[in-house]
Amino acid sequence: MNNDLKTECLELLKDGHLAGRIDRRTFLTGLVLLGVAPHLGPRTARAADGQLVVTNWGGDAVGAFEAALTGSYAEQQGIAVKIDGSGPTKGAMKAQFEGGAVSWDVCDADPGATKSLGEAGMIEPIDYKVVDREKVQAGFAYEYSVANYFLSYVIAYDAKQFGDNPPKSWADFWNVEKYPGKRSLYKWMSGCMEAALLADGVPMDQLYPLDEERAIRKLNEIKPHIVSFWDSGAESQQLMRDGEASMALMWHTRANLVEKDTGGAVSWTYAQGVLAPSGWAVIKGNPAGSARAMDFIRYCQDPARQVDLLRTLGCGPTNPLAHDLVPADLKRLDCSSAENMSQQVLMDMDWYSARGDQALEKYLAMTAS
Amino acid sequence: MMQAHPVPARRFAATGSLVMLWALPVILVLAYVLPFAGVTLWSVTRPELGFENYVRIFTGADFQAIFFRTFWVCLVSTAITIPIAYLLAYYWVMGSGRRSRLIEICIFIPFWISVLVRAFGWVVILRNNGLASDVANALGFSGLSTGRNVWSVITGMVHFMVPFAILPMASVMRKIDRRVLLAALGLGCRPIGVFWRIYLPMSMPGVFSALAMTFIFSLGFFVTPMILGGGRVVLTAETVFVQMFQTANWGLGAALGVVLLAVVFAILWLSQRVMRIEQLMSR
Amino acid sequence: MFGKSRLGGFLAGAAGFFLLLPLVAVIPFSFTPKRFLSMPDGEYSLRHYLAIFDPDTWLASIGTSTLIALLSSVIATALAAAFGIGIWLRRPASGRFLIGLVLLPIIVPPVTSAVALYFLLAQIGLLDTIPGLVLSHVVMIVPFAVIAILGALSRLDRNLELAARNLGASQLQSIFRVILPNIRFGLFAAWFVSLVMSWEESSVTLFVSGVNIITLPKRIWDNLRLDLDPTVAAISVIMIVATTLVILFRKSEA
Repeated sequence: MNNDLKTECLELLKDGHLAGRIDRRTFLTGLVLLGVAPHLGPRTARAADGQLVVTNWGGDAVGAFEAALTGSYAEQQGIAVKIDGSGPTKGAMKAQFEGGAVSWDVCDADPGATKSLGEAGMIEPIDYKVVDREKVQAGFAYEYSVANYFLSYVIAYDAKQFGDNPPKSWADFWNVEKYPGKRSLYKWMSGCMEAALLADGVPMDQLYPLDEERAIRKLNEIKPHIVSFWDSGAESQQLMRDGEASMALMWHTRANLVEKDTGGAVSWTYAQGVLAPSGWAVIKGNPAGSARAMDFIRYCQDPARQVDLLRTLGCGPTNPLAHDLVPADLKRLDCSSAENMSQQVLMDMDWYSARGDQALEKYLAMTAS
Repeated sequence: MMQAHPVPARRFAATGSLVMLWALPVILVLAYVLPFAGVTLWSVTRPELGFENYVRIFTGADFQAIFFRTFWVCLVSTAITIPIAYLLAYYWVMGSGRRSRLIEICIFIPFWISVLVRAFGWVVILRNNGLASDVANALGFSGLSTGRNVWSVITGMVHFMVPFAILPMASVMRKIDRRVLLAALGLGCRPIGVFWRIYLPMSMPGVFSALAMTFIFSLGFFVTPMILGGGRVVLTAETVFVQMFQTANWGLGAALGVVLLAVVFAILWLSQRVMRIEQLMSR
Repeated sequence: MFGKSRLGGFLAGAAGFFLLLPLVAVIPFSFTPKRFLSMPDGEYSLRHYLAIFDPDTWLASIGTSTLIALLSSVIATALAAAFGIGIWLRRPASGRFLIGLVLLPIIVPPVTSAVALYFLLAQIGLLDTIPGLVLSHVVMIVPFAVIAILGALSRLDRNLELAARNLGASQLQSIFRVILPNIRFGLFAAWFVSLVMSWEESSVTLFVSGVNIITLPKRIWDNLRLDLDPTVAAISVIMIVATTLVILFRKSEA
């Protein structure tokens, strides 16, 4: 290989690139020619014509989305739908927008995060001419996202130990004398501040805005008994399954899986659970165009499909009409049904949008101190 | 400089070696230094122009706590790593053939294995109801929490660093002239005295480079605390990650990265000075 | 010989045990018949070893990692060799500075490098692609290759090259006929170190890939976080056994 030529080209490209005379494509082509980016071209999950990229949080959710939502949509519309399980974190969504290389069409994102990104002009407002506001539980059709499913932060407990007198509140969770053993909470705060305040006696209907200082004080009380602040759903399952913790704050979907795994040795309750929505959001400049993305969101509002998602992933429907279609064996898992919802608190995503980041920093400082 | 060549330099001699020399630095500047500088710039431009991010880092109690903890964890793991590594390096270099070979195997098998697999090994041992707690229970320390805390992180970090720290020490030890040691013994010095008064001082340069390297490497640990810390041992590297990808405070994340890097360079500078003084002293 | 106390010998043995302990400890876990991580109690199964041969997951990742490691180690070795020889031939005044520059990726905390590379790759659209990963790996592993090659060159006799040049060899000829053959062990070491470093690179890979391209370390990481199933024990055992065999084989060669 002629090294002379190669470096000359590189120098040229560098100068051109720095001077802004050569655009990205030329620069890339140059790199490819130079062998820096050999024969294998980019294969990002980037939506081109007739393709839609849906992003979620990976693991079981990829297969579940495929089975309940994207598979049939792809067939019906005659396009390819890819699921990217890398997790639309706030930082990743922001990077996509600012990098000018948006590769995701529809994100299964946190409504609090999308709200703050939306207010910074990075998120497409939901088009309620396409998406039906009536098919969303009242209060969960936001400006920049629309609730796609519910998830509850519940108390999971060792049923062998506490089966006769199961915990019924976060106050019980905090009571290590009556309910001995280690505890586990979520590393990324969601649900934990609420749990602490409820344990401290704040009435369920007066939770928000959260009193952060009071919550941290209460969390410091339980901290010596925390075996681990779990970081992933699998970790929370393992902690309960192996008996490392006798009680944990868990996603109800995961609590349900441990219950099955252990044949009921671990159980869980909706009592004082914190019900949180997830939301569909569309980053501005998404490759398939916002019309296509909104159409997919509309498609997912179908009650039968929401029940499918409940069956595959255990997430509660956001369309109120779906609850009637839920078969008897899934009733318990249906966290957003009227019956189950009455025991829980609804998470206030506006609070998370306004205070989430600062509160998370305080929370992380608490876990780590 | 090499003396001028008698034959008129052919074209390659002039430009060819220049190209060879510069190819890698240019690529690194393009693919690494420039993006790096771009991110660094954010620390003073995001969310707005100014040193707001640095003020937050140096005055915020939460960030001070994170830096303090990082520093403490690095200090403790370095302090544990160095004696273990010295011991192994010593027996590797000075030990009899068979023992030396055995130790070499103990060093190099973990050395070549991924940090993830090694952290996973410690998960298996240290988790509650795992191997370590069984041993603790058998010894009568029941209810002892063995896993998911700062000590499990330190264990994992020490385990990762020991093979790395051995290499510079061993290479210095190999250069120690054994005749000097024999001469000291011949002059009636007790073996233990030979070690403390001659061998140890002569091997100190290796100890210093191992020290600097261990400390610098441990400042950057990310995977090990995340896997072994039970969410409780949040160090600076993970905080950079949180600020970049979780809360999307890019300016703050960048500023944290800059501070971390400044500490690394300070340690490098310090270790070079120490080594220079060491060299002066030994003359 | 001096200083071989019984206590020291015992402590060294204990330290060696400490180094091998976590690698030995995972072995029983890989043979559990259950689908989650647990010690097998009396019953053993190979199902988690069979799971590695799933062409869509573990096997695919092994292939991806191999491809990336081969590409990036060859590129890194070539660049490092060119750089080292350039330094050796020209001995530029800026040599110390340049060496410092190319060693930067080792010194900089990996998470900072990862952030820089993430935003570079996002900018040029190479996030989560083979070329993007190869580029990141080359940046991260090239310092190791440079160290190995500079080490080999420092032992090379300058007169050899001068003699070749005086006998009329062009510089190009002297590089290919004299320098490179004489540092071939250094080149091999550089390539081998790069290969292993790229194969197990996790600090940057975790950030810049994940969906289309899943390397083996990335898959292990995901598994540790999302599933924690015994397949990760099985793959660990395979890697440990392979490494041990290579080291023992090399020992018996020597």
